[in-house]
Amino acid sequence: MGRITLDKVTKRFGEVEVIPPLDLTIEDGEFVVFVGPSGCGKSTLLRLIAGLEDVSGGEIRIDGRDATEVPPAKRGLAMVFQSYALYPHMSVRKNIAFPLRMANMDKAEQDRRIESAAKVLNLTDYLERRPGQLSGGQRQRVAIGRAIVREPAAFLFDEPLSNLDAALRVGMRLEISELHERLKTTMIYVTHDQVEAMTMADKIVVLRAGNIEQVGSPLDLYRSPRNLFVAGFIGSPTMNLLEGRAAQAHGAHTIGIRPEHLDLSRESGEWSGVVGVSEHLGSDTFLHVHDTGLADIVTVRASGEVELRHGDRVFLTPQADKLHRFGENGLRLA
Amino acid sequence: MATQHSRAAARVMISPAVILLLGWMLIPLGMTLYFSFLRYNLLMPGTESFTGWDNYYYFLTDPAFSSAIVNTLILVGGVLAITTIGGVLFALLLDQPMFGQGIVRILVISPFFVMPTVSALVWKNMFMNPVSGLLASLWRFFGAQPVDWLSEYPLFSIVVIVAWQWLPFATLILLTAFQSLDQDQLEAAEMDGAGALSRFFHIMLPHLARAITVVVLIQTIFLLSIFAEILVTTNGGPGTASTNLTYLVYAESLLRFDVGTGSAGGIVAVILANIVAIFLMRMIGKNLDA
Ligand SMILES: Nc1ncnc2c1ncn2[C@@H]1O[C@H](COP(=O)(O)OP(=O)(O)O)[C@@H](O)[C@H]1O
Ligand SMILES: [Mg+2]
Repeated sequence: MGRITLDKVTKRFGEVEVIPPLDLTIEDGEFVVFVGPSGCGKSTLLRLIAGLEDVSGGEIRIDGRDATEVPPAKRGLAMVFQSYALYPHMSVRKNIAFPLRMANMDKAEQDRRIESAAKVLNLTDYLERRPGQLSGGQRQRVAIGRAIVREPAAFLFDEPLSNLDAALRVGMRLEISELHERLKTTMIYVTHDQVEAMTMADKIVVLRAGNIEQVGSPLDLYRSPRNLFVAGFIGSPTMNLLEGRAAQAHGAHTIGIRPEHLDLSRESGEWSGVVGVSEHLGSDTFLHVHDTGLADIVTVRASGEVELRHGDRVFLTPQADKLHRFGENGLRLA
Repeated sequence: MATQHSRAAARVMISPAVILLLGWMLIPLGMTLYFSFLRYNLLMPGTESFTGWDNYYYFLTDPAFSSAIVNTLILVGGVLAITTIGGVLFALLLDQPMFGQGIVRILVISPFFVMPTVSALVWKNMFMNPVSGLLASLWRFFGAQPVDWLSEYPLFSIVVIVAWQWLPFATLILLTAFQSLDQDQLEAAEMDGAGALSRFFHIMLPHLARAITVVVLIQTIFLLSIFAEILVTTNGGPGTASTNLTYLVYAESLLRFDVGTGSAGGIVAVILANIVAIFLMRMIGKNLDA
């Protein structure tokens, strides 16, 4: 079981309020991703849940029990650090066994759990090595192994993939998702990368300056961002946000339209502009359209084989049902 | 880039420094070796004659020799034990965030800047003096008979004085080692259920292993040749109770004016120091690789 409830949780470092009062419920078995720009308080929030920082106010409940004053080791949570935080003088086996040794578990049960974790994580051949003799991805798996042998109520990940190269990151992303499918344990995952958030989460929590901007499934956030910040943060390439004349025509202060929801034509359309840079990805091409009178650049997704050149004039039409309208206060209009 | 030519040039260039260094070490060593085979007494100049191994025989069979060996080992071992254990504890304390951290750190380091003779004299006259010393006053305050430290516990007193001098060095090295410990590791251990003691023994101490090795090796080299502290406090006495090997060599050659036996003692000390060094490198030097 791992249902975690935050009730008006607040964190201040001296005078600075990093987390204003915040409410959040994480259901048992959910994969929740905290996402937001660097410095917005994601790690702090995770460390509050872990118990590595004391809350300045509010209450944390784990499975209904007040855990606010419970020391980290007694909360039944396991954490994977960005730096892996492996113990360099211990072999992989000893690293993974450490939490079990600290719990005075009997040796046979320790070995059983270590072997099964090593099997799941493909570490069987490396058990006798030191962390210094492993690659980044393997170290990451050892850190995860050390977490899973404890059979915790929930896993906490703090940017676990940001020290890996791009190819490995995609692989580990899948492995962690796979692990969640298998274990069905609550996972809280912190990242600044919205692609990780979109691909892994059951539920995304978008944070800005310690405030929750929106909570929802990846598609909820994609389809109906609650405000301009979420609209600009979720989705890649980012949504085109247009103000002024074009927005007024739709009865809004700002309108947002994703690159994939603009129809491209050479003959006619609602807006027109001149093609600048084209980014060819093979499957798709992203065109930067200038001189539309709407914004500096409007990004449009076109098919991979589009035959447009720098300087060509094109016409754009937003798909009416995919248009997002925002009021002056930045909030979504119904 | 190291062509034959440039390598030859390099050798020529560094040769003055190498020759100077070699001369610096080899000439005194050679002369000591030479004197150690002579009957050479400063009271009878001009009568030097070759005596073979006699000087070595006298030095090694002197009852003062075996007690000097024991005293040297106690001195080195005692100071090492106090400074490494004390150094780890001090470093642990100084690593905690606290008010006035900078000043406290400087205060802890400062004994290292006091000259050995000065600090030994300060201890002798201001702390351990049975009449006017601070410790005597303390004893009297509690109604006890003041202790004459330097004559009743001479070796222990010297261990304390020397440990006081070397504690800052150990603390400084170990403090920097503590500061290089990844805080994430400690937090990970905390989440893994390790209490404060477990964290100390399973995470911190292994991290300090290399620094402790450095402290032990460097201090051993210096502690084997302690001299000034003994000279200004106990003069090796009472009897030979606080005579270590270095002091015995001094006593032979300059108090008894027997340069030959003193030189033999010097050579013995060099050999013993090398044995200790090899032993130490074997035992703990492996901490230094990787
Ligand atoms: N121990 C601390 N003392 C003071 N300020 C801190 C401390 N830890 C974090 N902060 C501040 O809290 C804010 C949020 O930090 P953090 O949670 O690490 O952000 P994120 O993980 O989202 O990048 C930052 O502005 C940071 O400077
Ligand atoms: Mg962070």
